[in-house]
Amino acid sequence: MATTSRDTVEISPLRRFAPPLAAVLGLVIVAIGVGILADRNAASNLMASIYDALGNTQGAVALRNGAGDQLAAKLVLGVLALFVGVGGIWMLFVGVSAIVGLLSPRWQGRILPWVFIVPAMALLTVFLIYPTVGTIVTSLTVQTNGDPLAHYKALFSPQYLGLIQNNLTWLIVGTGGSVLIGLLIAGLVDRVKREALAKTFIFLPLAISFVGASVIWRFMYEWQPGGQPQIGLLNAVVTSVGAGPIRWVQDQPLNTYALILIFIWLQTGFAMVVLSAAIKGVSIEVIEAARLDGASERQIFTRVIVPIIKGSIITVATTIAIVVLKIFDIIYVMTGGRDGTNVIANRMFQEFYEFFNDGRAAALGTVLFIAVLPVMFVNVRNLRKQGIGS
Amino acid sequence: MTTKRNWWLTAVGAVVLATACQTAAPSPSPSSQPGPTSTPAGPAAVPAVPTGHAELDQALGADQPFKGKKVTIQTQWILGEGANFDASVADFEAATGIEIVQESIASQHELVLRSRIEGHTPPDLAMLAQPSAVIEYGDRGLTTNVASLIDASQFSAGFGTSLVTGAGGEIWGIPFKVDVKSTIWYPIKAFAAKGYAVPTTWAELQTLAAKIVSDGNGSPWCVAIKDGQATGWIATDWLEDVMLRTAGVEKYNQWITHELPFDSPEVRAALAVIGEQWFTQGYVYGGYQSITATDRLAPMDPMFPTDGNWEGFTPGCWMHRQATWFGPDFFPGVRLNGQSGSEHPNVVGEDIGIMYFPSIDAAQGKPALGAGDTLMVLTPGDGSEVRPEVKAVAEFLSTPYGLQRWIERGSAISANQTTPEAWYAGAYKLAVAADIVGNSTSFGFDASDLMPPEANRAFWDGITAWIDAGGTPAATDTFVQSVDAAWPAQ
Repeated sequence: MATTSRDTVEISPLRRFAPPLAAVLGLVIVAIGVGILADRNAASNLMASIYDALGNTQGAVALRNGAGDQLAAKLVLGVLALFVGVGGIWMLFVGVSAIVGLLSPRWQGRILPWVFIVPAMALLTVFLIYPTVGTIVTSLTVQTNGDPLAHYKALFSPQYLGLIQNNLTWLIVGTGGSVLIGLLIAGLVDRVKREALAKTFIFLPLAISFVGASVIWRFMYEWQPGGQPQIGLLNAVVTSVGAGPIRWVQDQPLNTYALILIFIWLQTGFAMVVLSAAIKGVSIEVIEAARLDGASERQIFTRVIVPIIKGSIITVATTIAIVVLKIFDIIYVMTGGRDGTNVIANRMFQEFYEFFNDGRAAALGTVLFIAVLPVMFVNVRNLRKQGIGS
Repeated sequence: MTTKRNWWLTAVGAVVLATACQTAAPSPSPSSQPGPTSTPAGPAAVPAVPTGHAELDQALGADQPFKGKKVTIQTQWILGEGANFDASVADFEAATGIEIVQESIASQHELVLRSRIEGHTPPDLAMLAQPSAVIEYGDRGLTTNVASLIDASQFSAGFGTSLVTGAGGEIWGIPFKVDVKSTIWYPIKAFAAKGYAVPTTWAELQTLAAKIVSDGNGSPWCVAIKDGQATGWIATDWLEDVMLRTAGVEKYNQWITHELPFDSPEVRAALAVIGEQWFTQGYVYGGYQSITATDRLAPMDPMFPTDGNWEGFTPGCWMHRQATWFGPDFFPGVRLNGQSGSEHPNVVGEDIGIMYFPSIDAAQGKPALGAGDTLMVLTPGDGSEVRPEVKAVAEFLSTPYGLQRWIERGSAISANQTTPEAWYAGAYKLAVAADIVGNSTSFGFDASDLMPPEANRAFWDGITAWIDAGGTPAATDTFVQSVDAAWPAQ
């Protein structure tokens, strides 16, 4: 209703006052909603108030005591959150933009972008910038015994260097494996009749979470003593050809690579889809020209297609590298960091949750953050070069 | 630290007295599987008013002022242990109208608890086995001083301040349940059928192990330590038990405070003793490779005949070193099929017995290893006062009545020394535990639970990697050095 008002020449009073009203109403809804939701026992209290209004005093008392219809209370709260989060915010935006629409065009142009960008910036500040700064400050001030860099100096001891070494293995093998296999498959399926079907199978694992994939791969890597039925797929295969069962996740250094394989299985689909699209973008004339010059199919792929799609390869590699640097879930679920498989992110988790070393955990988080920065820089610059996000 | 770990000793002492009083010649009577449906006869397991605890008296009042209130407690007890706790508080719930909700979180317990506490949404109460973590929470003000809720003298008689205490004399936890860890579970009927005697010395145990293998009767040991994020603790228990026997309790206590490093002849000697049992071909069911790959509740499964018939049955493995919390609830019939699947009940004391983990060096006598669970009253997330009904539950659990039903099920020892001795009488497991403690010459509290968390984690992970590597000399070096390196600077 508010948006259509601009088109009409003659503005009726109703239409004139509707936008500010909507804005104020949206603001009130958001304020009340946040007020209700901020309460720790919001669900119970809200439902209890509803029960009170309906005259069900007994139910209300039970809820306030932490018993009663907790599920119903949570559902009501969920509906309220949806109403406030979507409806309230929508009304607020529409209303404010309509108010700005009443101003002169010059002021409109100046103010309108801010109307839309300020909420996002505020949220980013509260939920991203503030925690980042807070983490860095914590790493320099908490449990440092007076030396602000104490936690960073401690990271040079062998037990932490081992983690960094494992992260590097992950970075190189995980990223390299995903990109190379993705590229290979993208190149191969380009020639396949049922391309979409083949790609779907490779792409499917991407829909699975790291934790879910780890649980699946536990069954792949399951080990039973030799001579007993192997319920793990890989060991069932291995023993069927006469070899002894292999302890995939216990034996070093095999276990780290076994874990990286899970990651590659998940990420190859992403690499393949992006690179496949890039290959499709290579103009047929270039390939025809190479063919006429007598290049073999392999040469066409490695010397013509790959250089042309280099930008996409860098994008994919850096995106995967950022994910792999922060890898946590697979290690946590599969080995808990035992048997030499620990990485920085899992150690950070342990430092905080188990060791009560908040400062050291923050230092590890900061190191991860700094390690990701250059990769992100390359990623963003590359995207710009390709004309995306410029 | 030395004053903090002895409260369980006195508790076990009460059991010793109980059994000594009950039977002159101790012939422990077998205890069958008490299902959750079996309600012991007698009066309700709640103390008589006045109890001396203000909130508890209020809660037990005829007007039930806390009726309908909910109190949450997070525990690590699953399966039968969880059911035992629920049974322990059932009468109290009926008498007061308070609803006690047990949140059992098994091997993720410590992590979940920490995230809930840090997120300012803690449970009202929580059990924790690591005194070092309880102290940490206390020092941070995340758990409350329980000094006003309990009668500290009931936990410390003869041992001075033997509770988990803070720098300012605060008491951060209520000792609740204790376990004797120096125990080995074995199949009584199979031992008799093959003519094997229960070993009383380490030399006898070594001979028995060799004989089982040479007789072609399977493997002497059932060992499995896989327990999610807590993998490793069963192996550290082994090392602690052996350390007490080879290095002695004095060195053992130095080891806890890192006065004695891991990279020392004493620890290496103890590892060698364990290594002989674990890494000798055929000594562990499934080989040493299966130790870290098998669930901690499953190692004893090959010890049982699947049809319940012990006649002519040869167990796959013969000895399972595990503490007294273990029991029929974890035997395969019940564990895998629930109560309904126990048509072949294996009776503790008749089919399955418990023996003392034998002494090794005669000079170190007969030590006993133990551990205990501590109850924390957590500071509410908004920093408000602890609610009276929470205090009432904590006070109730601090009394012997808080564990009465669990004791009557033959499966628990209270940390409270005023626990009536008669409660312990007649239960095989408790009689054996009492026997072990009664005959013991020294005690040690679970060392890893007292070490700083970083060292505990390095200990768990290190010994796991040591096992996975087959206990090679290089793996031994890596293990002991990694724990020393992980020890936080003082």
